[in-house]
Amino acid sequence: MNLIAKAKPKDYKSSVKPIWCPGCGHFSVLNALTKAFAALGIDKDDTVLVSGIGCSSRLPAYVDSYGFHGVHGRGLAIAQGLKVARPDLTVIALGGDGDGFSIGGNHFIHACRRNVNITYIAMDNEVYGMTKGQASPTTAADWDHSKLTPHGPGVRPFKPAALALASGAPWIARGYSGNPNQLARLIAEAVEHPGFSFVHVLSQCITFCPEQTDWKAVVSEREAPALTDADAAASLFLHENGFQTGVLYNAARNAWPPEQVERQSTDITEGFRL
Amino acid sequence: MSNQQLGDFLAHSVELESEARERYLELAQAMIAHHNTDVAGFFNRMAEESRLHLEEVAEIAQDIELPGLKAWEFGWPEEESPEAVSYEAVHYRMSLRQAMLLALENERAAEKFYRSFADASSDGETRHLAAQFSAEEASHAAQLEKMLGKLPPDREHHLEEDDQPHMPE
Amino acid sequence: MTGTELSIAITGAGGAGVISVGELLLQAWAKEGGRGLLRKAFGPQIRGGESAALLKLTETERYTAARQYDVLLAFDWNNFTRFGDEIRIARDALVICEPACDPPPEVLAAQPRLLRFPMARLAADTHAEGRVNMFALGLLGRLLGLPLDSLEQLTLQKLKAKPEAYRHAAIACISAGTTQAPDCELSLPKMGAKGAWYMSGNQAAGLGALEAGVRFVAAYPITPASDVLEWMAGGLEKLNGNLVQAEDELAAINMTIGAAFGGVPSLTATSGPGLALMTESIGLAVASETPVTILNVMRGGPSTGIPTKSEQSDLNIALHGLHGDAPHLVLAPLDIADCVFTSGWAVNLAQGLQTAAIVLSDQFIGQSTAVISEPLRCESQVAGAQDNDNDYLRYRLTDSGVSTLAIPGDADQRFTADGLEHDEKGTPSARDDDHQLQLAKRARKLTTYNYGNAWARVQGNGQVALVCFGSASAAVNEAADLLARQGINVRTVSLRLLAPLQREQLTAALEACNTVFVVEQNHGGQLFQYLRGMMDFNQALHSYSRAGPVPLSGHAIATAVAQEVTV
Repeated sequence: MNLIAKAKPKDYKSSVKPIWCPGCGHFSVLNALTKAFAALGIDKDDTVLVSGIGCSSRLPAYVDSYGFHGVHGRGLAIAQGLKVARPDLTVIALGGDGDGFSIGGNHFIHACRRNVNITYIAMDNEVYGMTKGQASPTTAADWDHSKLTPHGPGVRPFKPAALALASGAPWIARGYSGNPNQLARLIAEAVEHPGFSFVHVLSQCITFCPEQTDWKAVVSEREAPALTDADAAASLFLHENGFQTGVLYNAARNAWPPEQVERQSTDITEGFRL
Repeated sequence: MSNQQLGDFLAHSVELESEARERYLELAQAMIAHHNTDVAGFFNRMAEESRLHLEEVAEIAQDIELPGLKAWEFGWPEEESPEAVSYEAVHYRMSLRQAMLLALENERAAEKFYRSFADASSDGETRHLAAQFSAEEASHAAQLEKMLGKLPPDREHHLEEDDQPHMPE
Repeated sequence: MTGTELSIAITGAGGAGVISVGELLLQAWAKEGGRGLLRKAFGPQIRGGESAALLKLTETERYTAARQYDVLLAFDWNNFTRFGDEIRIARDALVICEPACDPPPEVLAAQPRLLRFPMARLAADTHAEGRVNMFALGLLGRLLGLPLDSLEQLTLQKLKAKPEAYRHAAIACISAGTTQAPDCELSLPKMGAKGAWYMSGNQAAGLGALEAGVRFVAAYPITPASDVLEWMAGGLEKLNGNLVQAEDELAAINMTIGAAFGGVPSLTATSGPGLALMTESIGLAVASETPVTILNVMRGGPSTGIPTKSEQSDLNIALHGLHGDAPHLVLAPLDIADCVFTSGWAVNLAQGLQTAAIVLSDQFIGQSTAVISEPLRCESQVAGAQDNDNDYLRYRLTDSGVSTLAIPGDADQRFTADGLEHDEKGTPSARDDDHQLQLAKRARKLTTYNYGNAWARVQGNGQVALVCFGSASAAVNEAADLLARQGINVRTVSLRLLAPLQREQLTAALEACNTVFVVEQNHGGQLFQYLRGMMDFNQALHSYSRAGPVPLSGHAIATAVAQEVTV
């Protein structure tokens, strides 16, 4: 039996223990991430997890790779700067729905458009957990559990996959915290995709949205292969119920920046000498 | 000549038991962080049971080449391996009874998984081992049922609390 | 003494090409061993508006804005009054203009030598594509005694992408301007300097940063910092670095932090409003001990303010704008050449001390172009931390406060950088000791480091001291010269390092002084307030603070000082 030679999922966990509520979907994302790393045989020293602020953004500390726990909403910017400067690294940005679609919304759409070769895992529980359960950009209009919006936010939620597609994301998947093995596969494929890959994860919040335990009944795996046509994907993302999982869209598009060519002159002072 | 069915069975068994063990440890840790020591203690005991079973499987598998399956390539009847308690099925104020009921559910799922593996296999050794494992899971389940019988019933609203959640960040 | 100076203003509207005349004239002047400064002033239009090329030809490299102009060449007088604050005509100045248009009364009030010269007609007569600005270039070149072939060569180089007929016309007009120029007496500064460089402060700051190792820049366009980025884009390409045009300043600073975390020295450039947006994340760089350099090219503020004009009014936000206790570096280049040194020094310090360095350049030095000797480079490097312990701790408490900085790819030194307060390992912590110890560590690494002599430029030894920072240095030293002529000996202290403030050195530099003037280009006396809050002064302390948009004037400073000192 040869179980020792290859790193196992648990080998990718750090000694820091999660402070998430028992029942939180983010445990499952952490599990899936480490399973994906084990399957890919990822080198811990060459991998960086970058996050913003929020419950889900605590994740990098729980993984035994390099990590950066930044400020609210800016994880994607840190991740892109890092990847452009260090294309040799595997860079994964992650965070929650508030972090990614509200305060960091501009970075999200521009990351989709810019197509730097990183993976972005958005752990969407439709709520701000760290600040006591306020509505987020993906909360249903009539969700009235927060004192801040006692009658519900009253505005339509974002559809993250549609937003990503419209912004130019070349690769879009959706996973579910109730299915960490499938999520592990999606993350592994995302990491291997040579460009910006967006994994939208439905990750339940047991504390502020206990009704999300019902997601199990509505989540279904989309059997058809990933769409390659943007029109078809737009139609899917605008009309689906938001609970279909799998790689939903995969269009070939060259990542940015292109590989550098050797320069003839490296003298940066020549223009200044008269 | 390698026995493909046996290898496949053992790979599943190793994964099932090690995932069960890791999951129980992880959930125990989460319960400790939330000061539910009863349930944490129980999960740790269950992790120990799984470790013992894992050792047993590992010994059998010692000289057998196991297929290197990725996490999503195992043939589980449900989303996860049968004995891994779902991350989402727990609550920080859950009672020992609830924890045991969850564990019982998983022991039964494991029992059922092994039994169907035994039924489906055409290899004698595999059928024998799978049936043996199924019986072991059944005996764990019976023990749990016995323990459950001794526990007082839960108060109806024990998950409720008076304080509001905190704002850590 | 500074010797003879000659200031020339060239104005015009509607795409007349006055800036090109200024650039070519200054380059030709420099090639002959002259020194000089070119400033530019514009109306609000993106193209075709009124423009002014403001040349100051000098014998030294101490470049202040011209107080008044000895020569004014106006292609037209459209909206000339817009420049009324900036272009004051010297008595007996030479004013060259078209015969058909009368100069405005404020120009005539100086009783100039008026030379009405039909430049537009002569240019048109010379060539079908003839341009009046090239005719003027020839004319002014002749007045300055510049060789025709030098003007032609520089022009062809500048116009190399233009159609051939256009270039022919330019050459023909320069030649015509030279031969048809009238004879005029001008008193010219001495030439003879060797080894001219020709660059703007923004380019110089970019060069200093790249030479210090910066290989990643992320930024969002903003006046007057955009031309730093334009120059760096090309420079980085040559060095196989990267420049990312970010979606906003929030992304710019965070991309910079991300690249720096990857071990690549990184910089962002911006101006006041952008700096305000970046401050949260500069706090992250401080807390996570990620080295970043922020080049802030100051403009008139607050808010959109006066984006095209200079002011030293971002000192407060640079010093005090971060939330929490966030010790960081604030530096200011003293002149255009010093932009190379100071931005290089800032990068070295940020890298070595693992913190954020804010460099306060401004529009005046950033967007002015000067002829300078080869600029001095910053050679000093901060020694790295010695961490011989096997157990890697990213935020280890060391005597110097500096811990070993591992970067992704380093074997077995994995850690998570965190903006949350953390322990030595980097694990988030809200414990009292961790907070106290990490705060003290981050402060200690800046306060105990020996910054050497570069903290300020100290000149003179009078009992009156003028203390300033950044680009105010030239005007302050000009004031010192003017005061010396009145028998008032003045010493000047131009601060290059503002935070951490080198209190002991500053106290020593002011020894035996009885009066200190704090000179700065802002309304509220930000440096004055800062110094007064940070130090005890034995001297009588005065504030001379004057906001933009008009550049600081050595004459005005000297007048104010003389008034106070001789009372």
